[in-house]
Amino acid sequence: MAADTDARWVPIAVSADILNGTVVPAQMPKGPIAVWRAASGHLYANGDRCPHRGMRLSHGFVRGETLSCIYHGWRFGTDGVCQKIPAHPAVEPPKTINCGPVSVTEVNGVVWGAAASPVDPPVQFAGYNALRSLLISASVEAISSACHGETVEGVITAQLGGQGTILLTNVHGPDEALVIALLPTATSAQDRVKVSTALEALRRTAEGIGDAA
Amino acid sequence: MILYDYILSPSCYKVRLLASLLGVQLELRAVDFHPGREHKADDLLNLNPAGSIPILVDDDFVLTESAAMLAYLASKYGPDWAADGDPQAIALQHQWLAFSNRLTATLGGARLVEMLNFEGDLEALQSSGVVALRELEAALFARRVSGGTFLVGDAPSIADIACFPYVALAPDGSVSLDPYPSIRLWMRALRALPGFIEMPGIHRLHELAQDPLAEPDS
Repeated sequence: MAADTDARWVPIAVSADILNGTVVPAQMPKGPIAVWRAASGHLYANGDRCPHRGMRLSHGFVRGETLSCIYHGWRFGTDGVCQKIPAHPAVEPPKTINCGPVSVTEVNGVVWGAAASPVDPPVQFAGYNALRSLLISASVEAISSACHGETVEGVITAQLGGQGTILLTNVHGPDEALVIALLPTATSAQDRVKVSTALEALRRTAEGIGDAA
Repeated sequence: MILYDYILSPSCYKVRLLASLLGVQLELRAVDFHPGREHKADDLLNLNPAGSIPILVDDDFVLTESAAMLAYLASKYGPDWAADGDPQAIALQHQWLAFSNRLTATLGGARLVEMLNFEGDLEALQSSGVVALRELEAALFARRVSGGTFLVGDAPSIADIACFPYVALAPDGSVSLDPYPSIRLWMRALRALPGFIEMPGIHRLHELAQDPLAEPDS
């Protein structure tokens, strides 16, 4: 039976950072995954490990609606099942060879992942859209206090660069978290860059780097 | 034009890469950098007393710094690759060329320690490399907000070519590139350029080539 945490959505990336026909690495509580967008624009994810030789599938490449390993070209479908083994073109791979599909969905320009399929969609923030993600070597508490934010269930709200900003957190370890910042959709380009700069300052403070610490 | 070259050197690769993107033929002379230390032998020290590679020789004209070689190739064969006229664009290009030296010293330094057992404080090199990568990520994010893909202006330039190799090879020095989505998109755009060439550790985009497993058209 799946643990409670398996059926929970975790914010893992910014939608705009994953172009059609590309694959990127991301972190789930249970370990690394490869998130890929097929040529059709549909998003998929699976374990970041080729079942053949253990190569990271996020180093691989996307063709059409398939993900291929960079090492020996094993090709996986949207269900994570191996479709082709280039060294043995005549062999139909057994259905048991798969790379561990992970559920993904997109809300507010944020990619969320879950090990098991949760019943409810991820939390929504009407009128907000993802700005950027950054990895911070600090705890959520340290990040929240560095921006004088309010934290409820891993979601920090704070004023950054003069804008009301929402920070989603994905805890990678005791002193490491991925932060995905959301801003009101109408925020100007100039203010988005300002908030990005404020996020860099927030990271320096939370990590205790520089004079501000 | 002769390039004294070492296949595993990101600085030599910068010159080979730009030459290929410009369609310029270089005559390559392989230097036994490791373990032979041929760049420290008299023949090459006579050409370049600094004892470094690459060295570019165009008849009697000799260059020993890769950033200068990029500027030379661009102004001679591909003026679009170097900023011209706009004072801010020219200055920004110089700034990124100077920044690329920081990448060489930090990420490149960590790579030499990890790959070729050079002496050095690996942890210090890696953490100053991360500082440089974070700066680059933030700058490329700001470029994306205003619709840009490359470091300066609307098109790829010698600024991108100068910074790309040591960034792409950061994992050789055990510095992860996973946390940098804007750097990932920038590197992808560079790898998609017509004329792009590989070096060990930097591969081309396989998906741009014809699918070898595709059913042949009947």
